[in-house]
Amino acid sequence: MRNTGGQLVLLIVINVAVLGLGAAISGGSFLAPFNLQSMAGQLPEIGFLAIGVMLAMCAGNGGIDLSGIALANLSGVVAAVVAGKFLSSADPSSAYSLAFIIGALLVGLIGGTVNGLLISRLNITPILCTLGTQMLFTGLAVVASDGRAVAVGSPDLLAQIGNGLFLGVPISFLIFIGVAALVAALLKFTPFGLWLMLMGTNPKAATYAGFPRTGVLITTYATSGLLSGLAGIIIAARNVNVKWDYGTSYLLIAILIAVMAGVRPEGGYGRVVCVVLAAIALQLMSSMLNFGGLSNFVRDFAWGALLLTFLAVGRYNVVGFLIPNKSTKLV
Amino acid sequence: MGTLSKKVLLGSTLAAALIAGSAGALMAQNKPVIATVVKISGIPWFDRMETGVKQFQKDNPDVVATQYGPATADAAQQLQIVTDLIAKGVNGLAVVPMDPSVLEGTLKRAMDRGIIVVTHEADNQKNTNADVEAFDNADYGRALNERLATCMGGKGKWTTFVGSLGSRTHMQWVGAGEANAKSKHPDMALVDANNESFDDANGTYEKAKEILRKHPDIKGFQTSAGNDVLGVGRAIDEAGLSGKVCLVGTGLPNPSQDLLESGAITAIGFWDPQKAGMAMNSVAKSLIAGKKIEDGANLGVPGYEKVKVTKGPGVGVLIVGNGMVIADKANYKEFLF
Repeated sequence: MRNTGGQLVLLIVINVAVLGLGAAISGGSFLAPFNLQSMAGQLPEIGFLAIGVMLAMCAGNGGIDLSGIALANLSGVVAAVVAGKFLSSADPSSAYSLAFIIGALLVGLIGGTVNGLLISRLNITPILCTLGTQMLFTGLAVVASDGRAVAVGSPDLLAQIGNGLFLGVPISFLIFIGVAALVAALLKFTPFGLWLMLMGTNPKAATYAGFPRTGVLITTYATSGLLSGLAGIIIAARNVNVKWDYGTSYLLIAILIAVMAGVRPEGGYGRVVCVVLAAIALQLMSSMLNFGGLSNFVRDFAWGALLLTFLAVGRYNVVGFLIPNKSTKLV
Repeated sequence: MGTLSKKVLLGSTLAAALIAGSAGALMAQNKPVIATVVKISGIPWFDRMETGVKQFQKDNPDVVATQYGPATADAAQQLQIVTDLIAKGVNGLAVVPMDPSVLEGTLKRAMDRGIIVVTHEADNQKNTNADVEAFDNADYGRALNERLATCMGGKGKWTTFVGSLGSRTHMQWVGAGEANAKSKHPDMALVDANNESFDDANGTYEKAKEILRKHPDIKGFQTSAGNDVLGVGRAIDEAGLSGKVCLVGTGLPNPSQDLLESGAITAIGFWDPQKAGMAMNSVAKSLIAGKKIEDGANLGVPGYEKVKVTKGPGVGVLIVGNGMVIADKANYKEFLF
């Protein structure tokens, strides 16, 4: 696990550098509280998906979850259609919001469990399995919504999640940080976390050591699905409407964030804090380019360059190379 | 975490705090800023719109007008740009929504902050101060049909194409065309109406060939989706019927160039995104200045000299211009994009 501290340091440095650069080109307004809130509010939907991808990647054996955004949309659409059948979003009580939230989480959990079952029981390669379920989920969402946008409206509780602030911080962002911390704790302090990482490092050894492979895989993908459900809730809360084709570009961005965060595509290593920081870095960068009025193609270019940089940092001890005498402490 | 990472973390936090502290000092922008956000950047249609935004900027040095657009066709990416622009503190947003429903929440937040929102191609958008449409759909359908009737000499068999039966505007266009032919040109006989093209030039080509075989005496086609003229035009061209069978439909000048020259396409109809971009910015500028757009107002843009203003589906108004362009071999070169 060399260089892992280096990844964290680099991510922090990049975040601060982008903040500084943004402040410089915008004449300070980039760091105005309203923009910081606005950026923090944009982060959770993609952040949840990226953590899901990270978990799948950590499981090793080509683990990946391509169905994230499709499942998020399905959760939102199904929850909105079902909750809308029995309750009205104009109702002053929180019944509609609660029904929507529970529904979305449930759909996410079921979708993720299906992924886990297919991958662990039928031994389907994760990339193919989740590609299939991605299309399945998208198709189901189209059928459930007739291909149209489904109105969620802004009932109090959901509006709070989407637009509310707590001590000046968007509530959606607080939820994201809270859930990220929870996942990090799950990985660090529970046997599941240890099993997941060790299994990702060497699946064969894990099997011979008697790890509950099926259980770990199902839990991993179910958690990823649950995170998709959360993303679906945030999307609905912010956008008032949900639609099956929302965020098609998120699929690759979520993978980009995970790789930038130093999650090993071969499995066995990944840190939630790095994923969160990588997501923040991407958000800052894209907002900065919008502030600077630069073309969005520049953003794709910058992201690509950043990704390659991070891959290089992961492979070679660049931070240690730049600061040789301190490098030993990083290991 | 090693000592170094801790030091870097501490240093970074301090630096961030410092920058944050000095923020806000330089926020001096007295000209109103109008940001145009398109569905996707880098495609001919919206490149053409950008020329309009640039022209508007040149004509109106008292505002700052620029165009933004996502690199991928995804409503979520457009949403992020709009969100960032709201945070940046623009005064006006001129948006061509990828998906009006997805933008509702964000546009409402913009309006709550006092930002003027103008939309285009979104007559069902609720959270907007004004939606600008290039033309009335019925007028457009009638104009296409009238051009077709002129070419056909007012008689003969004709048929219609739509992108899909679910496409509201396309159905309005052919519906108005049909009504026009029925009332003004009784000798025109509509056969096998409303063929679905799915905006696919190849599929349309196959279908048009079938129709030409089934009705060898057909005289006219009225098409709707942007690629239909290309498919039908190719079928007419290959059958050696250029100039004998009339084809009028929605299309873009650049791709239609060859077929217009050969005579396979009689005329194409469209609205000029350049003028639409200018009209949106003009409306935004007036609304920011606190003026109201009255019925019959002149936006100072060709095709929008006498706009029809009605109440929109939400809080705002619906502004309809007369910005349709019907171009044929003689004049399409004025609109090459």
